[in-house]
Amino acid sequence: MINTQLAALLTSGSFIIIGLYAAIFLDNIIKKIIGLSFIEEGANLFLITLAYRADGIVPIFLSGMNPQWFAENSAYPLPQALVLTSIVIGASTLAVMLAIAMVLYKKHGSLSTDEILGDKNE
Amino acid sequence: MNDLIPLMVIIPIIAAILLNLFNKNNSTVKILSFVVAIVLPIIPLLANYGTYYFGGHAPLTDYGTFLSLFPNSILNTLHIGITYSYGSMQQILIFFLFIIAFLAILTTIGERKKISGTYMFLMFMGLASVVAMLLSDDIFHLYIFFEIVIIAQVGIVLASNHKEKYETAMKYMILGSIGGPMLLTGIGFLLALVGSVNITDIVHVVKNGLINSYSPIFLLSFGLIFFGWLYSVGLPPFHTIKSDMYSKATPSGSALLQTLSVIIFISIGLAIFRIYNGISYVGTFIIFFSLAAMILSISMALTETDFRRIIGFLAVGELGYLGIGFGIGTKLSLTAALFQGLNEIIITALLFIGFGTTLYLSKTSEINKLGGLIENNPKTGVMVLIGGFALAGVPPLNGFQSKVMLIQSALDKGFPELAIIMILISIVTFMTFIKIFHSIYLKPKPKDLIIEDNKIPKSTTFTMGVLIIMCIVLGLMPSLVVNGFNAFIGGLI
Repeated sequence: MINTQLAALLTSGSFIIIGLYAAIFLDNIIKKIIGLSFIEEGANLFLITLAYRADGIVPIFLSGMNPQWFAENSAYPLPQALVLTSIVIGASTLAVMLAIAMVLYKKHGSLSTDEILGDKNE
Repeated sequence: MNDLIPLMVIIPIIAAILLNLFNKNNSTVKILSFVVAIVLPIIPLLANYGTYYFGGHAPLTDYGTFLSLFPNSILNTLHIGITYSYGSMQQILIFFLFIIAFLAILTTIGERKKISGTYMFLMFMGLASVVAMLLSDDIFHLYIFFEIVIIAQVGIVLASNHKEKYETAMKYMILGSIGGPMLLTGIGFLLALVGSVNITDIVHVVKNGLINSYSPIFLLSFGLIFFGWLYSVGLPPFHTIKSDMYSKATPSGSALLQTLSVIIFISIGLAIFRIYNGISYVGTFIIFFSLAAMILSISMALTETDFRRIIGFLAVGELGYLGIGFGIGTKLSLTAALFQGLNEIIITALLFIGFGTTLYLSKTSEINKLGGLIENNPKTGVMVLIGGFALAGVPPLNGFQSKVMLIQSALDKGFPELAIIMILISIVTFMTFIKIFHSIYLKPKPKDLIIEDNKIPKSTTFTMGVLIIMCIVLGLMPSLVVNGFNAFIGGLI
C-alpha cells in the first residue's frame, strides 16, 4: 500500500514539472494559467500525500480509543487542514488571473503573451 | 491586554469588508477609512508583549491527559494552534506601519474627490496581511497571508490610471503563481521532516539536532522557501517586476506597496534566519542576492528617464541593505537591518508621495519633459530633497544611522569589502537622486510643460511633513527604536 503514497508523490512532482513547462514555454496566456494551476495543485497533492497512512483511520479521537493505537493508526490531520486553506487561496488567485486575462484579451485582441506582455508594450 | 494582539489583524479585515460593502457611498468610505486608520496605531501601543493562542490552543505541554501517555515525546512541547507572538520588534514595526498606512489613506482622501471602497478594501487587506505575517509564529500562516498580500498588491496597482497596469499585474501574478507554490512545497518538506508548521517548534527540532541540517530534504526546503522569499520581496531575478509594480501604482499606493514589501522581507527573512541559521552558507546566499539587488537596481535606475521607475529601482535596491544585515547574521547587523527596514518604509513613502506631487501637477513622469518646478512648488521640493538625503544616508537623518550600523557590523564581522560596496552604493544612490531632483526642480522649465494646478492638497503636504519629522527624530534619537530591536534580536540569537 505504500506504493499509493509513492504514486501520489510522483504525480505531484509531475504536476509541478508540467505546470512549470506550460508557464515558462507556452505562449497562450490561458494555457499558462492552466499550467500555473497545475503547479498549485501539485503542491497541494504533495501536502495531502504527507498525511497519508496506509490502512489509516480518520483522525478523530473518540472516547474509549486507545491513545497509543490512535497515534499509530490515524492519518495526520494537519496537512489536510492546510490544503483546504491553500485550495481557497489558489482559487482566488486563479480568479484574479483569469479576470486580468479577459481584460487583456479585450484590450489587445489576442491571447499571445508575446503580444500582450512583450517588451514592446513596456 | 493580550487580547488586543489579534485585533491588530481583525480590525483592518473587518474595516476592509465594510468598506467593500459601502463601495458606492463615497462619504461613508472616506469617514470609515479615516476613523479606522486613526484608531489602528493606538492598538500596538496599548497591547502587552506576549503570545496569543488562537482557539485557546496553548502548547500541548499545558494539557495533562492525552500527552501524559507520551512522557518523553517531543509532542509535549509542540504548538497545536496558530500562535501570535508580540514583542518589541512587532510593536515598533506595526506602530509605524499603521502610521504610514494612515498617511497613505489621508493622502488618497485628499487627492481624490471620489474614493473607491474596493481600493480601500485592498489597502486594509494588505495591511492586515502583513501585520499577521509579523505576528505569526506559524510558517503556513505566513504563506496564506503572503498569497493574500500578493492579490492586494495587484489590486492596488490595478486601481491606478496607468495604461500598462494590467500587463504589469498579470506578469506579477504569473511569477507569484510560481513563487507561492514553491514556498508552499518548501513548507511541505519542513512539515514532512518536523511534523509541525510552528516556527518555534521547527527551530526547537533543528537546534536539538533531531534532524540533520544538511539533509537533502532540509536543503531543498530552504531552496524553495528562499525562492518564494526572493519573489515576494523583489530581490533578483524579480527586481524588475517589483519596481515595475511601484511605477504603475498611484504615489500613495506605491508608498504602501513598498511598506508591504519591507514587512514581508522582515517576516519571512526572520523565519528563514531562525530555521536555517545552522546551515553555514545561508548567510552567503542572502548576501549574494542582496548585493545583486543593490547593484542591478542602481544600474537600471541610472539608465531610466521615468522618475517613478527610478524611485522604484532605488526602493528595491535599498532592500539589499536589509538583506546584507540578515546575511551577516550578528546581533548588531540584524538590529541594523530592522532599523534600516523601518527607515526605508518612511523614506520611500516620503519620496513616492513627494515625487507624486510632480505627477499631480504636470501629469507626466518623464524627467526629460520636466523642469523648473521649484518655482511652482518650493516647499515640496525642499521636503523631497530632505527625503533624498535620508535615502542616501546623509547625517543626521535616519538613513545615516542605520547605514552606519550596517557598515560597522560588516567591519566587525571581517567583511570590509561589504562595507565599501555599501558606501559606494550610497554614493551612487545620492547621485541618482540628485539627477532626478535636478531634472524636475532645478533645470530650466521646458516651454511645452503645462502646470495645470499649482495647489498641492494640504493632506499631502501634511503627510510629507510628518514623514520628515520621523526622519529627523529617528536620525537624532535612534535609541527610540534601536533599543527595542536590539532586545528582540537579543532574544533571538
